[in-house]
Amino acid sequence: MNDRQEDSLVGRGNRDGAELFRDWFESLNDTAERGESAAYVFVMGSFNEILKAFDMPVVFPEINSLQTAVRRVAHEFLDEAEDYGYSPDICGYVKADVAVQLRGGEHPMGRIPKPSLAVYTNACNTYIKWAEIWQRMYDIPIFTLDVPGTRQAGGQTWPGERRFEADRRYVEAQIRELIGVCEQVTGNKLDIDKLRQTMGYANEMSSGWARVLELNRSHPSIFNALTDGTIFLGVANGLRGTEAGARYFRELVEEMEHKAARGIGTLTEEQHRLVFVGVPCYPIFRRFNELFTEWGGTFVSSTYLWFASGGTNRGYQYDLAKPIESLAEGLLLFVRDAMDSMFHQYAMVRDMVEEFAIDGVVFHPIKSCRTVSTGLADSRRALMDDIGIPSLFIESDMMDRRVVSEAQIKNRVDAFFEGLISRQQHSAPIAGTPAQSGSVEEVV
Amino acid sequence: MTTLDDWRDRPLDEVLALCRDTVEDPDYPTVRRWRELGGKVVGHFQVYSPQEIVHAAGMLPLKVRGAPVEPDQADSRFGSYLCSILKTSLELVLSERVELDMFLSHPICDAARNLAAIWGRNFPYPCQILYLPQNANSQYSVTYLRDEYDRLKESVEEVAGRRVSDDDLRRSIALYNDNRRLMRELYELKRETPWLVSAEDGYCLVALGGMIPVEEHNELMRAVLPMLRSRTAKPQDRVRVVFEGAFCEQPPLDLVRMVGRSCYIVDDDFLIGLRFILEDVASDGDPLHNLAHAYLETSSYSPVQHDNRKLKEEMLLDRIERSGAEAAIVGAAKMCEPGLEEQVAYIQALDKTGMPYFVNEFEENMTSFSQLELQVETFVENLLFG
Amino acid sequence: MAHAAGVDVGSTQTKAVIVDEQGRVTGRALTDTGANVMQAAEKAYAIALEASGLEEREVEWVIGTGYGRYRVTFGNAQVTEISCHGRGAVHLFPGSRTVVDMGGQDTKAIRVSETGEIVDFCMNDKCAAGTGRFLGAAAAALDIPLNDLGNVALSSEKPVRISTTCTVFAESEVLSWLGKGKKIEDILWGVHTSIASRSGSLLRRVGIEEEVTFTGGVSRNPAMVEALEQRLGKKLNYSEDSHYIGALGAALFALDHIRASRIPPAGAAAAHKEASP
Repeated sequence: MNDRQEDSLVGRGNRDGAELFRDWFESLNDTAERGESAAYVFVMGSFNEILKAFDMPVVFPEINSLQTAVRRVAHEFLDEAEDYGYSPDICGYVKADVAVQLRGGEHPMGRIPKPSLAVYTNACNTYIKWAEIWQRMYDIPIFTLDVPGTRQAGGQTWPGERRFEADRRYVEAQIRELIGVCEQVTGNKLDIDKLRQTMGYANEMSSGWARVLELNRSHPSIFNALTDGTIFLGVANGLRGTEAGARYFRELVEEMEHKAARGIGTLTEEQHRLVFVGVPCYPIFRRFNELFTEWGGTFVSSTYLWFASGGTNRGYQYDLAKPIESLAEGLLLFVRDAMDSMFHQYAMVRDMVEEFAIDGVVFHPIKSCRTVSTGLADSRRALMDDIGIPSLFIESDMMDRRVVSEAQIKNRVDAFFEGLISRQQHSAPIAGTPAQSGSVEEVV
Repeated sequence: MTTLDDWRDRPLDEVLALCRDTVEDPDYPTVRRWRELGGKVVGHFQVYSPQEIVHAAGMLPLKVRGAPVEPDQADSRFGSYLCSILKTSLELVLSERVELDMFLSHPICDAARNLAAIWGRNFPYPCQILYLPQNANSQYSVTYLRDEYDRLKESVEEVAGRRVSDDDLRRSIALYNDNRRLMRELYELKRETPWLVSAEDGYCLVALGGMIPVEEHNELMRAVLPMLRSRTAKPQDRVRVVFEGAFCEQPPLDLVRMVGRSCYIVDDDFLIGLRFILEDVASDGDPLHNLAHAYLETSSYSPVQHDNRKLKEEMLLDRIERSGAEAAIVGAAKMCEPGLEEQVAYIQALDKTGMPYFVNEFEENMTSFSQLELQVETFVENLLFG
Repeated sequence: MAHAAGVDVGSTQTKAVIVDEQGRVTGRALTDTGANVMQAAEKAYAIALEASGLEEREVEWVIGTGYGRYRVTFGNAQVTEISCHGRGAVHLFPGSRTVVDMGGQDTKAIRVSETGEIVDFCMNDKCAAGTGRFLGAAAAALDIPLNDLGNVALSSEKPVRISTTCTVFAESEVLSWLGKGKKIEDILWGVHTSIASRSGSLLRRVGIEEEVTFTGGVSRNPAMVEALEQRLGKKLNYSEDSHYIGALGAALFALDHIRASRIPPAGAAAAHKEASP
């Protein structure tokens, strides 16, 4: 314990991540206070490489929304959007943002600038519906960069193949069109060397991110994918394509390699290694995790870190010699991968069970996000049929406290661990002589 | 191949009753008959799908649009907060009411995009997403879609076990052009003389197009339309409405019937995917290019097709104006993310123009309409006597 | 001779079961939970002790279960009712591999191993869809005592199809069918089949094995047994005493603890959590 406290490397990623995150929000606040606007983007394919090359500040409305939940004020925002007309049954992120817009950008972390442009992929269909709301509110250009995904399970195509190249050409054409829109909005021509620079930073971040995730094969695991992982994720998204982001991931790899080499784990005494599938329960973010760590459960991986980083977890490296072509290829590959992490994650999770020594899988579908949640019950069924790994299925939400019942979640988590432990102790004696009659009384 | 019970030379009322019974039968008797005759079936989920490509390969395109059945088996494959159509569509195949040789879905919404993966984990045949472009405003999207149709054609050929030539496609396009024209005639009838065709009959005549061969549907429509026109029914004191919000999950027929008792539904988006392309598709040149061009350039609208040239609320106002409607019924399926989101924009636009509207949420397997009927009737009374 | 006890604090009723070293039931008790959960637990436990002819000190280990398990202040540990129902059901019906527990609050589907360990479980979410609460609401709307509900439903000849199992709408749904002139028994049977359908889906999620045991308060309703049997296409195990199964399971877990503590160190770490002092 003393070693750990003295070790300045350990915990640096969390500290610096939180600081970078605050700085980023402060700069957005300043942008808003100056009356300037920003590009609105999303985590699954953020185009930071392009937007940063135009020096555009970027706003991630998803991150703004989840922050209202973490800060326990989401309900105020949801109520406001529902009063405005949005149904209780739609995405909570959308509604929190609608309320932020109705309040003129007022947000618990500062003022959010208005949009000058919204650009998003089709990785989530609600992105499109969401952008249509800003189109109506602000009459700004909105740009759907359509990325064709996997057509059939296992049917992915690859660079050089005819079908892949057809998709790549479509993505490339759209990137060129997007650049045109950015030039119009900013009044500046694209500086291709600047684009190369942001893409170079993104390359460093992607490879660092992939390395960090891979290092969690260590025993004990070196970071908690649900809690620590979300801090890393925030930087991976918000600062993608920046020098600060690249440095952060360089240092994070250093920290994680250091921990792995010395066997320094998280604060939890690791007894059960788990994978998390779904979106975190932000309204009770810390508590949710504690329900697992109290039993010695640690999350060594999470599909959230895959899809919510837009698939950059695979570490794709751009070829800076041909930036636009390579940007198209990369975008197609990693956004497709993000979608696969949502629709076809069953095979991915199955394949990592051995490598990461997984004891159980926690499925957390949420009301707000049908993209991630719709297939999880069937995915779980397939996974159990396939490899029989213990799994837990709990439904709640990432925003809406009305559908988050801590007592109910705890009950299920406890039962899950009870089952996990009793199965690990097959040799333990089982008390009681079985009755044959089916009557409690007759056992006497 | 004929899949419907014989309707030729029967009186109109009997033909319409047959249509209703067929559409309401969750066992899909026409599909069953088609299979018994040795045919293959490709199920295509809502909203739009290029049926021509499947038809050109000699297979039956079946519109998968859920059904008013209990999702006994499918429920265990899904979570709690989902629309009904996803579950009942899978139920149809899990319960073996319908058997498919291929399943196609489209990236229409967050929930439906999971369907091909789920379906594929439960069935051995090809289960695919046809990636219809969601950037309709890119200069490249027609080219992209043409390539995507070509990819689909290859998959379809594999399932059918035969090649599809350009001429095969052109023949199919011509048949579907006929079908589109007949559908336009039906909607003209609904618009001009709504007392001659009830809301539910209009609905069933369209729905049949998604479950019988197009040749048969064309023949039926050619026979039924003149019979409808020569009816002697008189106009009644009902409100002319547009029903909007049924682009994917369908309201139960009883709901349509209920609305029809006090309103004339003069236009709507019921099964809009079957009527999505508004004009004839060109028959010369590259047929796949023509289909792609038609989808992007001469098509209707829905909340799940984004196109900066078609702001949905403006499209709705236009639909209301063109049909001479006096009011709108703006529905949304329960738990339908895009439908519920669009509802807000629709309502704001209707408020701005002062057009009366009635908002509701429906579910395909709802069985009780008394509360809804009470509200619709009150709404109508307000318009008629207010 | 050592004894072990289980106290199951449910949303409506609290149950206590005491077993001896052989796992035989020596006493049991049932009481309404009411507003004071702690008191209910104490009361049930006291009655069970009395029935067993035991002093409190003669019981070596007490496990609390049910939603109020952390309010069993005299207990030594807590185990969830999911584990306890699985365990108790296998004890009563050793062939049980799937358990459906239907209570007032929720319905649980549990798959168990031959030793009563939980292999998988699922619960209905967020609303009373497919639970006893909906039956209660329907009974209230029709003004029929809850206990008669099942028998009335069983006389149905032409069941109606109920589409909602939302408790909030139970009354209006039921009344609208009454308004259409449907018979009470036909409406009630429709209610039962609708709940059975939801529960069937839940069971499918964990897997329906050869032998299915039906537990919880609602399992004493003959129409629900019949509806579930029809839905699953098989006979179910059920018991008049099924409402004690959770407490029985808890008592058996307590007995595990006693035995394990006598043969250290194998299995020293029990599957349940020690109560904080």
